[in-house]
Amino acid sequence: MTPVLSIQNYTLDYISSVGPVRVLHDISLEIGPGEVLGLVGESGSGKSSLAWALMRHLPENAREVAGSLRLGDIDLQRLSPGELTRIRGRRLGMVFQDPSTSLNPTLTIGRQITEALIQHRGLKQRDASSLAINLLGHVDLNNPAIMRRYPHEISGGEKQRVIIATAFGCRPDVILFDEPTTALDVITGARILELFARLRRETGVAALYISHDLALVTRVADRVAVLERGRLVEQAPAADIFRAPRHANTRALVDAVPRPERRLVHDKPGDQVVLAASDIEVQYGSGGLFRDAPPPATKKIGLEVRGGEILGLVGESGSGKSSMARALTGLARFSGKITFDAHEIHRMRDMNAAYRRDVQIIFQHPDASLNPRHRIDEILSRPLKLYGGHLADIPRLLEQVRLPASYANRWPHQLSGGEKQRIAIARAFAARPKLVICDEITAPLDVSVQAQIIELLLALREETGTAFLFITHDLNLIRQIAHRIAVMRRGEMVDLLPVEDFDADHVHPYTRELMAASPVPVG
Amino acid sequence: MTELFIRLMRKPQGFVGIVLLALIAAACLFGPALAPYAPEKIDFLGRFRAPGWQNWLGADQFGRDILSRLMVGARSTVPLAFIATFVGSAAGATIGVGSAYLGGRTDEAIMRTIDAVMAIPGLLMALLLVSTLGNGAGNAVIAIAVAFAPGMARVTRSAALNVRNQDYVKAAIARGEGAPWIIFREMLPNVMAPIVIESTIRVSFAVMLFATLSFLGVGAQPPASEWGLMVADARQHMHQAPWGLIAPSAAIALTAIAFNLVGDGLRDALNPKDER
Repeated sequence: MTPVLSIQNYTLDYISSVGPVRVLHDISLEIGPGEVLGLVGESGSGKSSLAWALMRHLPENAREVAGSLRLGDIDLQRLSPGELTRIRGRRLGMVFQDPSTSLNPTLTIGRQITEALIQHRGLKQRDASSLAINLLGHVDLNNPAIMRRYPHEISGGEKQRVIIATAFGCRPDVILFDEPTTALDVITGARILELFARLRRETGVAALYISHDLALVTRVADRVAVLERGRLVEQAPAADIFRAPRHANTRALVDAVPRPERRLVHDKPGDQVVLAASDIEVQYGSGGLFRDAPPPATKKIGLEVRGGEILGLVGESGSGKSSMARALTGLARFSGKITFDAHEIHRMRDMNAAYRRDVQIIFQHPDASLNPRHRIDEILSRPLKLYGGHLADIPRLLEQVRLPASYANRWPHQLSGGEKQRIAIARAFAARPKLVICDEITAPLDVSVQAQIIELLLALREETGTAFLFITHDLNLIRQIAHRIAVMRRGEMVDLLPVEDFDADHVHPYTRELMAASPVPVG
Repeated sequence: MTELFIRLMRKPQGFVGIVLLALIAAACLFGPALAPYAPEKIDFLGRFRAPGWQNWLGADQFGRDILSRLMVGARSTVPLAFIATFVGSAAGATIGVGSAYLGGRTDEAIMRTIDAVMAIPGLLMALLLVSTLGNGAGNAVIAIAVAFAPGMARVTRSAALNVRNQDYVKAAIARGEGAPWIIFREMLPNVMAPIVIESTIRVSFAVMLFATLSFLGVGAQPPASEWGLMVADARQHMHQAPWGLIAPSAAIALTAIAFNLVGDGLRDALNPKDER
């Protein structure tokens, strides 16, 4: 059977100021008719470069060194710009990562779909509209009124559905999916995956599905190819790759995938309550003369953290979990009461230096949480200066987060994402806190780096006995480490359960939905 | 820093700007030593002498050598413009970053005041201040600095608002840092790029504004060889001896262009996306 898409010995360089950098080494892949090939790799492995090479949309400094890219019997590298326009969309579709930037904000949804159909399938305006309505129905957008809406008037999940409808509607031979669910929250992402599986059954289109998430890829793909630093290290049927990873890199990837049944924390928390919060309401913005105040981001949330406990806080984006972190660290105005060490706090001004020292926060993006104009030693010296400590402790702090002492002289941009996050952790622990709030600290990191960071946090907890409030959207991860988990939805807490009870029957329906949406590895 | 300089020199506008600035700086430093004549040496036989081998750029109504006057006058024009811009930018940047950090009503109050001040044209503002403070080069510097601060404050604030939302600033607030540390050490270094670019461009405005004030008779006073004053003096004899007008005007324009070019070059060189 001839493959619909074949990549033979493809090698790609990027020309940079230090000379050519090889991003893809001798890649050979084939996708048969109706087959879905999953392409997995960490950030920087070259998976998106491969997608752009197939779309013939490489940056100017890219040099194709060797190999061929063929779509059926067409040699993609030899196409003229005019021929490319006829191939793109018509025979080779693409769905991007971020739906909010891939639709034109000034055109209606209807215009954007019908234009693609008129261009690629040569339909008349009227036929195109009726087909567009039909296609939108297929992606569960049944209200034809959506045709007249603008992209900002529909949600992120709906936008991705519109893009998928457009891609499928042109009936291409192959569709490239570049992390189509990464920018969406868990439940919306899960629905998109269900939709993808159904459309695939209906149309039999072949697809290349690119993702960093091995667990997710094994659920949608027939075969999985693993890319590491531009090299293809393994190709295997999806069902086998989890059970019997052959290459060491694949094994590392498989091991790093969090599985709820593999607990990493075995001790019990203390009985003494470190921090108790009750009726916390965070309100952004106030009402004006002619408008009401927006609803509060959190609605009277109460929680308590015990000594040495890891409390998980889970929810979709917009559920108010980060607002809780901001309230507890005095970054957002709130109403309610926080009791910490017999000290009562009713508003930001009540937070004294002792509270600020004892409650530390680590942010999601390590790039943004370290000042780019400060060297590492200056970043680490601030908590020491503020809370008492000696500058000679800096090497010890670096060593505590498993970084060499020589890093003290570096700038943040000279460090990788995982290393930066370690510095942020060192900065938080420099204050010798009693409670550390981790706000999605592993979300922007690769799974293998995520596993290392979690291991580090647990080791620090062993050493210091610090309690954690761990905010995340990854239910599988938090079930590995937390003692208790709180589930938030639209500013309300729907569940607060010990982790053992998550398999029980009395969980909230929303929690069950969240669990069903978290991809658990096959095998 | 050296890397930035090399990047700046690679851009054509940066290279030309730097060369021109180096010439101007040389005139400021060594002007009096290099000048062929004393700037106030009067030569009655050489009144309105056209440019030639005796006076390269000609002579004015008192027979004073225009080239010598320009070279000596550089010292009383360019450094003063530079100081005025520096003081104005520093004040404006501090106000802008502070306003962005404080936020809310305070920010609103500061920025609306700035808007009100900006509604008065810079020259009018400077004239107003000089006429209250009294004539003289020192007061002109203060007037220009005050006239420049609101614009700088606005530019800085818009850059600082982005920085204000960065997690490192939030981290500093969460660990209980004081406002001066956050404003000067956390935020200000991260908005330096737009400030530096804006100030280099503003130096050229300051040179012109300073010359204008002298031209109007409220800046430097005769017989100083300040460039704006030279233009004012030569104006009456424009038809007899146009070189008296052209040479200092060209010097002012050249300085303004030099600073503008360096500002343009810096904007490109400071842009990290411009690596290739």
